[in-house]
Amino acid sequence: MVIQVENLSKIYRINQKTPGLGGALKSLFRPQYLDKVAVDGISFEVGQGEIVGYIGVNGAGKSTTIKMLTGILAPTTGSVRVLGRDPHQERVANAREIGAVFGQRTQLWWDLALIESLNMIGKLYDLPPAHYRDQLARFTEMLDLGEILHIPIRNMSLGQKMRAELAATLIHDPKVVYLDEPTIGLDLMVKEKIRAFIKQENRERGITVVLTTHDLGDIEELCQRVIMIDMGKVIYDGALQTIRDRFGKYRTITLELSAMLGTGDLDLLDDTEIEAIDGHKWRIRFDRTRTSASKVAAHVMNQVDVNDFSLTEPDLTGIVKQIYQGALNDIKVSTGELAQVTV
Amino acid sequence: MTHYLSLYGLFLRQRFKILMEYRMNFLIGATSTIILQGASLLTITVVMSQIPHLNGWTLEAIFLIYGLITLAKSINHMFADNLWTIGGQYIRTGMFDRFLVRPVDPLFHLLADRFCHDGIGNFLVGSALVAYAWHALAIPLTVFNLIYLIVMVISGGLIFIALNLITAVSAFWVIESVPVTRAIFDNHLFAQYPLTIYPQAIGILLTWVIPYGFASFYPASYLLGQEVGLLAFLSPIVAIVLLSLSYRFWRFGLRHYAGTGS
Ligand SMILES: Nc1ncnc2c1ncn2[C@@H]1O[C@H](COP(=O)(O)OP(=O)(O)OP(=O)(O)O)[C@@H](O)[C@H]1O
Ligand SMILES: [Mg+2]
Repeated sequence: MVIQVENLSKIYRINQKTPGLGGALKSLFRPQYLDKVAVDGISFEVGQGEIVGYIGVNGAGKSTTIKMLTGILAPTTGSVRVLGRDPHQERVANAREIGAVFGQRTQLWWDLALIESLNMIGKLYDLPPAHYRDQLARFTEMLDLGEILHIPIRNMSLGQKMRAELAATLIHDPKVVYLDEPTIGLDLMVKEKIRAFIKQENRERGITVVLTTHDLGDIEELCQRVIMIDMGKVIYDGALQTIRDRFGKYRTITLELSAMLGTGDLDLLDDTEIEAIDGHKWRIRFDRTRTSASKVAAHVMNQVDVNDFSLTEPDLTGIVKQIYQGALNDIKVSTGELAQVTV
Repeated sequence: MTHYLSLYGLFLRQRFKILMEYRMNFLIGATSTIILQGASLLTITVVMSQIPHLNGWTLEAIFLIYGLITLAKSINHMFADNLWTIGGQYIRTGMFDRFLVRPVDPLFHLLADRFCHDGIGNFLVGSALVAYAWHALAIPLTVFNLIYLIVMVISGGLIFIALNLITAVSAFWVIESVPVTRAIFDNHLFAQYPLTIYPQAIGILLTWVIPYGFASFYPASYLLGQEVGLLAFLSPIVAIVLLSLSYRFWRFGLRHYAGTGS
């Protein structure tokens, strides 16, 4: 296993300040703390070459987890092992093997041309010059860096910056890469390019990737496996497909009828429900674990001629919303239930 | 070690490249410290012209003390100015997180990240003052005295750096460490003058608690042939002890580092 996380927790201790001089004195002699449990006893493992999507709502504890995995923060309790090392205790040795992207923050020097920043990073990692040149040539081609190599970071667009950032993160050939919201704020074209790059590095170099994102497109494109956390706890860990199957219970079939009909004119099966009627078009939602698209369609076709029909795939946004709602309304049940889904 | 040295050289080259891009900034930074120092030196000269002796210390002797502490301070200023800005410029912005995922010591990375050219002005003023006082006071220019001077200036610089490091560690808890650093740092102003002009408590404070005295008063006393006993040679030891304590404290703080949200 490349990453082993066991019972990991992080509690932030926030100093409560009371306003005024009296408050300042009080907090000096009897400090008031507020403990914020950001990560709450999570466990998981990630194997070599996996791309894992690590998702959850704002404040769920994703970045905090990533910071413990990279060695930036010490865990409050529990343990992390990355390639057999404790990333916080053996931070320098760990740093050689990993790469990390943090959202909109850049690791490049604001005023230096990209090529100079990359040279600096090459030196920081003590890369053999030949190896460095190979990597640079590879990335220049794959990430289209040619035209931005001599521009300082401060003059780059967001998309250019992120491509530069990825090159800087992977130039030392890390085995494990943590990407905390790497596509935030980017347009679709750049997103696609970045996804393709990550995919290729994963396929050809076998890098292991932990990816945090709010963009489900990233997940669908890159991950076979998803870990979902909520309020610091893992509420789902398993195949993306299983989430789809289990939570994408409802699908929508759209039928174009040959005649205009009213709601009462058509008999519908159980486990179905009219979502909308728009002239000749009927959108019917059905529970695909209890019935099937063909049954629903056949039942309608027996009553009226159908010109055309189409099926909408379950949308991950909807699925995630469902899980969140479940997790928030009824956390015990859903945690128990969800834990069994683990593949 | 050689890796770190060559890295420092690289950082320095890049830094100057950037500084040259903002040439005006560079010149203003380097000269403004000279002007500031000039103003305070003028004050001393004016005051001393009224009272030719301050507790038995001549203007030239005070220039020597003043020059020594200015040199020590300039070392801190040039090489460790980022200890002031760690909270605002590095922790708050997340840049410090970045240092923690690079395969070098984060303290080294922090210091190497910004050589502060404003300190060059201080270094020049300090050198000029010491040279002038040295000449005026007819201090023998022996090899031993020269080595003594260099060792004392470096020790003094390290004492400044160590004290700033100890106070900068508070940034790991409160993020903005400047008020804490300033509260200790400002005590060096006492050490611009002979410690004997103050009440005894201040002399003790500046010797054994916040030992800026070892960056100026004791080495100057020795060079002037005043009897200060072993204290004349203690600066390097004070510097080393203080540095190792402060580095330990830094490591301790690092374990409590929580960064900032998002
Ligand atoms: N340095 C910190 N000090 C105190 N509390 C923090 C700190 N960092 C994060 N938190 C809190 O811990 C919780 C988890 O934060 P975290 O940044 O890990 O969430 P996240 O899942 O990455 O959210 P987002 O999607 O918004 O990036 C939040 O409630 C946050 O306010
Ligand atoms: Mg986050």
